[in-house]
Amino acid sequence: MAKAREGDERSYARSLREYARGVVGGLLFSLPLLYTMEVWWAGFIARPFNLLLYLSVGFLLLFGYNRYAGLHKDASWLEVGFEAVEEMGLGILVAAGILWLLGQIDGTMPVNEIMGKTVVEAVTVAIGVSVGSAQLATGGEGKDEGGMEGDDSPTQGVISQVVLGACGAVLFASNVAPTEEIVLIAIESSPWKILGLALLSLAMAAVILFYSDFTGSDRLRRGDGDGPGTMVLRTAVNYAVALAASAFILWFFGRFDGMSFSVCMAQTVALGVAASLGASAGRLLLQA
Amino acid sequence: MSKKVEKNPLEWTVFAVSLAVVLATLGYLVYDAATVRDAKPDLRVELGRPEPRSGGFAVPVTVHNRGDETAEGVHVEVTLETPGAEPERAEYNVVFIPRQSKREGWVTFRSDPSRGRLTGRAMGYEKP
Repeated sequence: MAKAREGDERSYARSLREYARGVVGGLLFSLPLLYTMEVWWAGFIARPFNLLLYLSVGFLLLFGYNRYAGLHKDASWLEVGFEAVEEMGLGILVAAGILWLLGQIDGTMPVNEIMGKTVVEAVTVAIGVSVGSAQLATGGEGKDEGGMEGDDSPTQGVISQVVLGACGAVLFASNVAPTEEIVLIAIESSPWKILGLALLSLAMAAVILFYSDFTGSDRLRRGDGDGPGTMVLRTAVNYAVALAASAFILWFFGRFDGMSFSVCMAQTVALGVAASLGASAGRLLLQA
Repeated sequence: MSKKVEKNPLEWTVFAVSLAVVLATLGYLVYDAATVRDAKPDLRVELGRPEPRSGGFAVPVTVHNRGDETAEGVHVEVTLETPGAEPERAEYNVVFIPRQSKREGWVTFRSDPSRGRLTGRAMGYEKP
């Protein structure tokens, strides 16, 4: 009896610590976003349907992250879903709380403005929460192999690369995406410099993934006895995920409205530098 | 693969609260997306009672946006027409007026507005 109670208290303390880590992680990753006025504006400019889509994509990413790198090794699909709901809930509450402290939402505003601002911020906070609760732990607790069992088959390797890469890309790129600077870069840079940015992204991804002894990159290298072919493939997949993520975020923040195709491409590539860093470095760190 | 989900009461509480918050948010967004119309920004300028201020008079102005799209960079102009005098104009800018929202501000005049006629309108605004 006494022993059981002791166990209960331990797990209370443990889950409290998990939540604390989650909230701190959420803030750590999303504070730049919470302090950016373009993001607040996006909250009321965005159409309700776009907000709904953004929230759903956020859910998918959470689900994927928990599935492939989450806190509990032996998670079932149901648990993965439960965790995604918890993280999104915490994300919404934390985002609303911080926005209120920053004076960006209050009782006099119409509901759609409050909801919009909260949802736009909450998705990044929620990803931060899931990364935080899984990764900020000291050894033993949570640091053991994440995800579900039996994740080592080659097909799942690609899926997990895409999912975790997308999480990392969104986490990094959403901090710069809503700013005016991306549009400025796209408009003012010559096409050759945009190409340069694309090559830079690819080079950095390759260096991070394969050459720099980045945390976790040895695990990749060990991977499948990879020759240069696998390396090129992995780098390409990584960059493709980064570009897709950056295009989606730009579209959501209304950066494609009324722009010519070439400016949209230039924006995607300019933001792709951040997204690609996130997809490669982020992936290794998120998975560590 | 389906296993019993093990949680302590604290975790169940957090889960229940989260589920409620997430469902409420989703529910609201679905409702909002289903009911929102495609109306362009529709601005109405409402003028309040003039108040004497140092060096003149201040008139509170409320701009309502009854459309379903945000108006950016709204330029508001208020004209005071007093019989037997030159019309006096005052203006200011509002950065954003979100859909179904209002923003408040003031314009000031040198002469007393209560002896003339005040008219206000939004001169122009852009799509964000």
